[in-house]
Amino acid sequence: MNEKYLTITAITRYLKAKFDSDNNLKMVFLKGEISNFKAHTTGHLYFSLKDENSKINAIMFRTSASKLNFTPTDGSKVLVAGRISVYEATGNYQIYVDEMLEDGMGNLYVAFEKLKKELAKEGLFAESHKKPIPKIPKRVGIITASTGAAVRDIITTIKRRFPICETILFPTLVQGENAKDDIVRNIGRAENFDLDVLIIGRGGGSIEDLWPFNEEIVARAIYQCKIPTISAVGHEIDFTISDFVADLRAPTPTAAAELAVPNMVDLTNHISQLSIRLREAINKKIKYERLHLEAIKSSYVLKTPMVMYENKKQTISLINEKLNTLITQKLAKEKEKLINLRSHYILNNPEMLYQAKAESIASMAKRVTELFYNNLKVKELKLEYIKNSYILTNPQKLYEKEQTKLSGIIDKLELLNPLKIIGRGYSITYLNDKIVKSLKQVNINDTLNIKVNDGYIMAKILKKKEDK
Amino acid sequence: MEKKFEDKVKELEGIIAELENGEVSLDESIEKYTKAMKLVKECDEQLKNIEEKVNKIVTEDGTLEDFNPEN
Repeated sequence: MNEKYLTITAITRYLKAKFDSDNNLKMVFLKGEISNFKAHTTGHLYFSLKDENSKINAIMFRTSASKLNFTPTDGSKVLVAGRISVYEATGNYQIYVDEMLEDGMGNLYVAFEKLKKELAKEGLFAESHKKPIPKIPKRVGIITASTGAAVRDIITTIKRRFPICETILFPTLVQGENAKDDIVRNIGRAENFDLDVLIIGRGGGSIEDLWPFNEEIVARAIYQCKIPTISAVGHEIDFTISDFVADLRAPTPTAAAELAVPNMVDLTNHISQLSIRLREAINKKIKYERLHLEAIKSSYVLKTPMVMYENKKQTISLINEKLNTLITQKLAKEKEKLINLRSHYILNNPEMLYQAKAESIASMAKRVTELFYNNLKVKELKLEYIKNSYILTNPQKLYEKEQTKLSGIIDKLELLNPLKIIGRGYSITYLNDKIVKSLKQVNINDTLNIKVNDGYIMAKILKKKEDK
Repeated sequence: MEKKFEDKVKELEGIIAELENGEVSLDESIEKYTKAMKLVKECDEQLKNIEEKVNKIVTEDGTLEDFNPEN
């Protein structure tokens, strides 16, 4: 039984033979970026080469390493040539590098990276701006060269997957100096056709060949294009600016076609699968309802309906009984009450009610009259007292004080009365209705009004003489 | 093959989802079932009678012509 199980060395050796026998792997040219670089004391170099989404181990023996014309470090972009084989001890495949030179294309990469950063910052790659690719398009636009593998791959793939959709090709220059303008022009033309999706791309090539798809005007044209765009430039490993700007990036033209249109086979399967699920769902529903009905039918109540009203009957009779006992009790109590009342004292001698009333009224009357008279007497005494009070007997007391005060005031006024003074030969001199008290108030030739006892004298000032 | 094909498929999926979660009343589910079957038939027909669409190429002056990638 166990002879079909291999040892690990056996399988590794087999794999190594597989690698070594494949002449594609005998001399491979790789373009990549160095990472986790280690120069061993023996002079051998150990590192790995990577790009955006994959990595490969690499080793460069001392003899070839000595021929390097630059010092490799992590991150440096390089072009290597070597053979790929399996290192049995670890089971990893790796590239044995014979030659390595710095990737001359630096400046193009630099330009690429710069533009990429710029457009990213400006938000041209923003996911939120990307339009969804319609699942089932009617008409697919294609912007690529009218000859060559790309257009053929795209159209044949679409034909194979989804022949009922129409394709419209916009023949475009995809290489060389004026490719970029031609691409932009055709994107513009594509917009006035009723397209559901637009594939923009070309086949593989060097970075220079693909460069038009890194041009800014192409990137902006794709960004503003109203039709959902799929960009498919070069091979899987090639990334161009238009890939980032487009609504969807496809690794190859064929992949673009596969992303653009659904596969007829999938669609028909999907439909038939839906109808199966449909039938299952409805059958399940019907079965469930039938069972449900059965359960209801066999329910206890339906089987023996009288059960329901039986216990109802019982409860009613119970209530009946209770009612009767209550009524009879009530009646008895009321009757008894009535009898007691009849024998009550008051009912038998009603007059005692009003007798008490009469007496109390009589006593009240007496008291009222007494009160009245007392009151009267008090009032009389008060009147007497007031009559001979001091004030009434000599009223002048009231105004005496005021009187003397008044006469005092009058005398004083008499004294101050200017007319009296005038009477004794004094006069009041006025200048324009102001009393003159000092020389300073007047000037020569002023006219004065002098008030004498029996009228006014108008005088003009001739001279002023000051008292010393 | 108008755009409606995609909407029909969506509607079909909607009905099936409703029936599968079982909330729908019996009469309504029968009604939805018949509608769904009609949709299935329509979609199938649309896919079956495929008339091959010819590819077009836009010439310089903007007119459309037939295009065959092989030549």
